[in-house]
Amino acid sequence: MEAKAGLLELAGLNELQSLALIGMSKNAGKTTCLNHIITAWQASGQTRQLALTSIGRDGETEDILSGRAKPRIYIPAGTLIASAEDALQRSDALLEILELSDVRTAFGEVIICRALSDGYVELAGPGASEEIAVISELIRQHDPECLFIIDGALSRRSQAGSGLSEAAILAVSGITAAVPEILAEKAAFALDLLQARLVTPEIQENLMPLIISHPTARAILLSQGKHQIEHKAIELPSLVGFGLDISKELQKNSSVLFLRGAITDQLINELLKEPHFANLLLVVEDGTRLFLTPGTAHKLQRRKIELAVLNALDVRLVCLNPTRSNGQLLNPEPLLAALRQKITNIPVVNLGPSNM
Amino acid sequence: MHSSVMITSDLLQQVGLPAVLEACHCRTPQGSRLKNAVRFYNDQSREELEKELAAISRLTVLITEKHPQIVEALTQLARLRELRGTFSRLEKGGLLDDTEFFELKGALIIFSRLTKLRDILISASVNFEDTSAATALLDPGGRSNPAFHIYSEYSPSLAEIRSRKKEVEWQISQNKGSQRRTLLTKRALVIAEEDQEEERIRWELGAKLADWLPQMQHNADACGLLDFRLAKADLAVRWNGARPKLVEQGLPAVLVDTRHPEVAANLEKHGLQFTPISIEIQQGTTVLTGANMGGKSVALKTIFLALLMTQLGYFPNCQSLQTPLFEFFAFESSQEGDINRGLSSFGLEAVSIRDHYRRNKIQRGLIVMDEPCRGTNPAEAAAIVNAMCKTYGRSESSFFIATHYPVSSQPGIRFYQVKGIRPEVLHQLPPYQERSASDQQEVSEPKTGITTLVKVDQREDLTRVRRIQNLMDYRLEKIDGMHAVPSGAIKIAELLGVDEALLREMLAAWQEE
Repeated sequence: MEAKAGLLELAGLNELQSLALIGMSKNAGKTTCLNHIITAWQASGQTRQLALTSIGRDGETEDILSGRAKPRIYIPAGTLIASAEDALQRSDALLEILELSDVRTAFGEVIICRALSDGYVELAGPGASEEIAVISELIRQHDPECLFIIDGALSRRSQAGSGLSEAAILAVSGITAAVPEILAEKAAFALDLLQARLVTPEIQENLMPLIISHPTARAILLSQGKHQIEHKAIELPSLVGFGLDISKELQKNSSVLFLRGAITDQLINELLKEPHFANLLLVVEDGTRLFLTPGTAHKLQRRKIELAVLNALDVRLVCLNPTRSNGQLLNPEPLLAALRQKITNIPVVNLGPSNM
Repeated sequence: MHSSVMITSDLLQQVGLPAVLEACHCRTPQGSRLKNAVRFYNDQSREELEKELAAISRLTVLITEKHPQIVEALTQLARLRELRGTFSRLEKGGLLDDTEFFELKGALIIFSRLTKLRDILISASVNFEDTSAATALLDPGGRSNPAFHIYSEYSPSLAEIRSRKKEVEWQISQNKGSQRRTLLTKRALVIAEEDQEEERIRWELGAKLADWLPQMQHNADACGLLDFRLAKADLAVRWNGARPKLVEQGLPAVLVDTRHPEVAANLEKHGLQFTPISIEIQQGTTVLTGANMGGKSVALKTIFLALLMTQLGYFPNCQSLQTPLFEFFAFESSQEGDINRGLSSFGLEAVSIRDHYRRNKIQRGLIVMDEPCRGTNPAEAAAIVNAMCKTYGRSESSFFIATHYPVSSQPGIRFYQVKGIRPEVLHQLPPYQERSASDQQEVSEPKTGITTLVKVDQREDLTRVRRIQNLMDYRLEKIDGMHAVPSGAIKIAELLGVDEALLREMLAAWQEE
């Protein structure tokens, strides 16, 4: 019990209003981590309620992709949840419907409920961050004090950050790598990207009005003109596959490039073909938008391209789930040791299933 | 669109009806459905139209005086959801899920709150039926909150199962490992019992609610009607609409200071004002003439839209309006041609002329034509236009036509012209000055492609056209007969820098005529 209550203090969850769970891979142990938080929350006698939703789908008994059994989410009475109709049908806690959100998913409309009994729930929330914002707003109307936890699949189409949550927990597992040093290396690199530095207030001031006035622009370019900063908003259907449309707009005096969407190796490689893609600041919404390999990050460094984000993500904790994709349990100690050696500024804990 | 309105969808767009519908904001799916059904009122439904207009008129008073019930009504309406699916399932005796029960409970709460807004309901001529018994079915504990679940109060058996479940859940929270797993299995068995009892209750509850279906459906429709009338009243207030007066057949339509909402809004964006139009349209023919750029097309559309809005139950954008009710509306303009369809513009015009005439033989219509036969040989075109004016002049329909062809004065034909630009004002404009070649080069040249073929920078010309337009007096004036078609076109050509040699030829040709 003590260790569990300690988890809250370790990650400083007591004083948070919102938290995102981010997994480094599929089955990284986010749900296990969530179950640990729920248990710790209950054990420590918190008076505030938890409110749960997920980006996409979670808590189902089987992984839809692999068919393997997955941990389920067991919540105490009083917890608020925002989940799609179909997922609620498969939940067994007694749920009181508080509100229909008008946010639609492939599994039906997202419904805001309060659990009147303990029980299992399946979470299937919206995919887009704007919709998560709607849900967050509705949840707050019903319970302004709650800790709102977004179980966020780290995917190219959705995001856990972007100002939606104050803090995040990163879940890593043996699926990413079973060799301790490699896992630690990868986790540290992922953390670097997630915690990319915040843009300066000056650039933020220049960018924000443009981002708001061009809601559909995928890219916004700032260049130092003769007398003032000039800008260009580039409307594209997506970032992927349109790198050349962006790079052709780059000039020698381009100083800031803001990109809205997932930043992938493929995109960066397209941009790197343009010699003017150099000596500039590449700004993205938040660290969850960066899907880069170390090699690509290195190429950016050589071009003197720095990364910055509009919304900084405060990663409070790294959770290790020492299982591999085949379900084999790894010895957690060497993994923990390697992770702690590489990641020194954030606590790393083992929250594998055996610890439950 | 209703078959009582003969118009192509492109033209309807230009006339501005879709913009009217878009500006009329309904808050409920039921209200939007009424709006999108676009009901056309004619002489047979005159009484209903009077009732509709009277309701809107009374609501505009409440909106203008910011009656507190307005905000409450709009708030409640905004919460109402589409209920057709749930109603249909209830009607067919299907099993409702908790979301649907919740939806119904929410709707019933909205009905009861709206029922209390007496001032609005009386003004809007909308009535609600008492559905409090249905509300009670969905709130067995009398909690009076909008949340819903299958309450333990529905059956003693359910209450008993849940109390057992709660006990197991408490034990689960106190145990770990294999004991916990055993308890979880025990819980699963209790849950199976609970599920079964809940489902029985859902069937029973659905059957009881079905008894109240007619009243609930009536109230949902009432919400739609209230919503639509409030939306129309709100639009009337925003657009300074006037309640139209419906007069008997044979009396003229009289429009005073009518504005075209969309055109006016566009002008205002450029800091310009729309000149309100006044006109009297009698049974028979009304001919509108006037200089080029005089806004004849806009005048036709403004008047057509105002009269059409009236017969769709909206307040037109004007100072005042009286009109008899037409059995059909027709609008024809070959202005844009049908180049895309590759069809001859006169061919299509001839089809419209035929259809309008046939319809007119059996019904009274408002038939509007914008410069028909403009691409036709002038002698024949003038003959066609004169024939139509003369024929419709003897009919019970109102034929309203803008044309440049001379129409001879006859009984049943009245003439209006756009005041236009007084010649002395036109002569005060500074003559056109060609820009120097160096000035022209300053324009950033397009780099590549087809853009090199076309003239890109029209700013100067557009400014000049706008300056001429600003001098135009768009008001309509009644005249005795058709004067010589007012000149002005050649002067405008001159002011826009048409070369001297060409201008000389134009003037010579004009004088010869």
